[in-house]
Amino acid sequence: MRIAERTEWNLLATPLVAFLLLCLGFPALVNLVYSVSEISFETLRSPTLSGFGNFAAVLQDSAFWRANWFSLRFGLLTALLECVLGLFLAIFLAPLFKERSWPLAILMLPLMVAPALVGLMYRLVLHEFAGPVPYYLWQWFGNSPSFLGINSAFWTLVAVETLQWTPFAFLLFHMAYHAIPEEVREAAAIDGANAFQRLTRIELPLMTPILGVALLIRFIDGFRVFDNVYVLTGSGAGGSTASLSIYIYEAFFKQGAIGKAVAASVLLFLASFAILYGLNMIARRRRK
Amino acid sequence: MKTISRTAARLLGCVFAGGLMLSSAQAEVTVLGWPGGPEETALRAVAEAYNARPDVSDENKVELLFFNRDGFWDKLQADLAAGSDAFDINLLATYSIGRYAPFMEPVTLSDEAKDLYGEAVLSTMQFEGQQYGVPTDLSLHFMYYRKDLIDELMGDDAAKARYAEIAQEHLGKALEPKNPDEWTWDDFAATALYFTQAVNPDSPTRYGTVLQLKNLLFNIMVWQSIPRSYGGDWMDAEGKITVNSDAYRKGLELYKLLYDAGATPRDSLSYEFPEANAAFAAGQVAAMLQWNAAAADLTSADKSPAVAEVTGTVAPPAGPEGRKTHIHGLGLGLNKNAANKEGAKAFLTWLSTKEAALIYARNGGAPALSAEAVKEIASERPDLVQLGEYAGSYGYVMNGGASANALAVYELQAKEFTGYWSGQQDIDTALANTEKGMTELLK
Amino acid sequence: MLNALRWVVFAIAAFAVNFPVIVTLVTSFKSAREISTNPGLFIETPTLENYLTVLQVSDRLNIFLYLANSFAAAAIGTGIAVLLALPMAYAMVRGGLGAKTLLPLIVNLRAVPLVIFAIPIYMMFQWLGLLDTRFGLGLVLAIVNVPLVLVILVNAISEVPLDLDEAALIDGASRTAILFRIIAPVCRPAIATSLIFGFITAWNEFLFGLMLTTSKAVPVTVGASFFFAASGGGVQWGVAAAVMIVGALPPMLLGLLMYRQISRSMMAGAVKG
Repeated sequence: MRIAERTEWNLLATPLVAFLLLCLGFPALVNLVYSVSEISFETLRSPTLSGFGNFAAVLQDSAFWRANWFSLRFGLLTALLECVLGLFLAIFLAPLFKERSWPLAILMLPLMVAPALVGLMYRLVLHEFAGPVPYYLWQWFGNSPSFLGINSAFWTLVAVETLQWTPFAFLLFHMAYHAIPEEVREAAAIDGANAFQRLTRIELPLMTPILGVALLIRFIDGFRVFDNVYVLTGSGAGGSTASLSIYIYEAFFKQGAIGKAVAASVLLFLASFAILYGLNMIARRRRK
Repeated sequence: MKTISRTAARLLGCVFAGGLMLSSAQAEVTVLGWPGGPEETALRAVAEAYNARPDVSDENKVELLFFNRDGFWDKLQADLAAGSDAFDINLLATYSIGRYAPFMEPVTLSDEAKDLYGEAVLSTMQFEGQQYGVPTDLSLHFMYYRKDLIDELMGDDAAKARYAEIAQEHLGKALEPKNPDEWTWDDFAATALYFTQAVNPDSPTRYGTVLQLKNLLFNIMVWQSIPRSYGGDWMDAEGKITVNSDAYRKGLELYKLLYDAGATPRDSLSYEFPEANAAFAAGQVAAMLQWNAAAADLTSADKSPAVAEVTGTVAPPAGPEGRKTHIHGLGLGLNKNAANKEGAKAFLTWLSTKEAALIYARNGGAPALSAEAVKEIASERPDLVQLGEYAGSYGYVMNGGASANALAVYELQAKEFTGYWSGQQDIDTALANTEKGMTELLK
Repeated sequence: MLNALRWVVFAIAAFAVNFPVIVTLVTSFKSAREISTNPGLFIETPTLENYLTVLQVSDRLNIFLYLANSFAAAAIGTGIAVLLALPMAYAMVRGGLGAKTLLPLIVNLRAVPLVIFAIPIYMMFQWLGLLDTRFGLGLVLAIVNVPLVLVILVNAISEVPLDLDEAALIDGASRTAILFRIIAPVCRPAIATSLIFGFITAWNEFLFGLMLTTSKAVPVTVGASFFFAASGGGVQWGVAAAVMIVGALPPMLLGLLMYRQISRSMMAGAVKG
């Protein structure tokens, strides 16, 4: 006899739920406890509750706000650039893929390389004396801009991220564009629409949902950037290129300010959930 | 079916864990060393030599272990704090002894050690009067310079006049080019400015110097010989923080002057050891303050063909209080929780003998040996002669430089000072923040 | 005409996005002498000495260990994720379990900067003795992979026709049996895709590798950064470049071979998310 269906479903779901509770739920709890305690590397296992001092320290830390601002700007800019470039490439290059798909593989290659490795590679690429970019710029123009100077570091990082992840946006848009049924285009053509009108009145509107998704995903990934920034500039001169993730990492590992690091983590956690919950609500209301 | 795969995964995990346990169950002497550099090569050579000795039993043979360089010190502390016995002997650095002393046991060195190393060098491994380790490698800074360029400059009267002009304009006094061994910091600055194309379009090199300005604690160690030579210190004898001083200002302003004038690449804000070396090796830099470890590569015709023949090394320039070079030592000390303490102690005592030190030196290590001892390998390692000499005559450790929070102090200084050098905050703010932070950290 | 322009744009885009890899590849074939004198893209005297140094192991650093660690941790991280997600996906699609609450929660997990959990996981691992172990790293990689794998599998299972289930139910099979004898085989492509995609994602992880390993379980993404050591020894750009190529090669090869499937998973992941 089969056991009750409900029980069976629950049984199937248990492994994952248990795993997540253990590996994420428990850490989340630990985070909450540690964020209101005093701890250091020596007393890692025996925190002493101390109230909201850590949160106060984080909120008063200008480096925290600066990191937030960095992450925000970085996320927004890279998401926008990647989506604009990706959209352009997807639409403009669409005919090329009609008969062959190998160009896709080449464009997708950057997505397969670890961002940390890409960051290291750029250290070489942009080095004034060991890298090709400054070398050729000096040869052709007699001068080369400073890529990692105080004002240019941010833009260089944006460029590094954009170049690696535009293919992701491109891929999404390419597939969405490809998924638009030919009949829709043909019908529009029959009705007298030219290519430009087809693009703006039919194709783009149909792609708006995926555009929104791509922007959101890339913003999230840009906001929580760590790998490539960390290996390329670290937290930067005076902490100028510290993203929020780098801020938390350094507070923990370099300053040993565990309470502060964890408090920042908790704040970030609450913020992400609030925003995502909000977005989910909006999406659900839209669907109705 | 699912259960089988999961069991397989768990078994796999157990195999890994078991493999790890197996390796430590052999009662060897496990030594945790510094990975990825000449220290690693030298340590391997020494371990091999030790293990080949007839009087070393199998259980006391040395086995080596290497951590990840990044976050090394914090992970080491976390492990020691947790009472780990995965290693019997671990790496120590001058700037971290205070942090690890609670988890380590003082060591007894061989009788030869005092004459072999000298007091100054031995003190890099001491904390609160106790010897915590064998000083296997010493790090200090050299002033690397292009002999050919300096010679040319000194032999050309028109050039000398231009040099004096530049010095007058930027430093307020007309200086004459000198032999780098006689430099003051002002001479260094004048030379750096002269050899910068942005200042002197006729300069044979693009940059006069290359400064390591990345927000990194090691870069502060390079820089702090400047304030030290002006009499600066972290704290005075009573424990009051003294960074908000003229000495520190002078040092900070010198770097800022050079950066603003373009005497160092604009990207220097992200430069550390490898980038600075690449710049010098490309032949576009006239003089550079850099760790002694770079000497081997920069003078090797294979690795740096453009500059190998013409690179000279001297101790850093002098300030009013004399010539100073930051020294810190890497060494090996005893874990309080060592599984094989007796074997470990035996190895450490042997390590501090002349025989061991010479093997270590011959294989790439950089011990600072007394003049007597270093004569024996002077032909193979001429750089060690300078190393021992400079360490003894000019070496210093800041007051508080070995304390438990020394690294955090360097991190704080790195953040605040790079903020100043990159123009994001003024010098008063930087020094005030540093003073405040250091008071907290060193109380 | 326009088509020729398209090809030109494609070439520029392909070159620009792959530029760092190209440069690193070129550098890895240059000798140390040449690197300090010729930073350009055209090699004067190509050499294999960098690769020989890297593959010769270890006196300095053990590339084979890092590769093995990456492989093991990624395999564990992907295998566990799929094993856990498959039953859950089935329960969600057919049983309607947690479709409104759990699924969005797990999917949103992807958006949370995982550095938040890095610290307590570090402490947990230290307590459990899982630090610097392949298994420990694998567990964390499984967490990273679960959201996307779950989404892919949910998508795949919802496309399996209900009649297959019903037929088996009539024959008296348990849900678990249906899952493994019927659903899983039908969803083999999706499972394969999520394995590949998960493997690549896990292989490329850096932050957790950095925080949770020290020597024995260091993956190749972290191991490559050793070659840029601060203080001590020279940085040999040529050798470092060779290491990076070796470390980036496995996922790149996988990507080249399986790009069609991977692009489909990315699409699925995006739409559901």
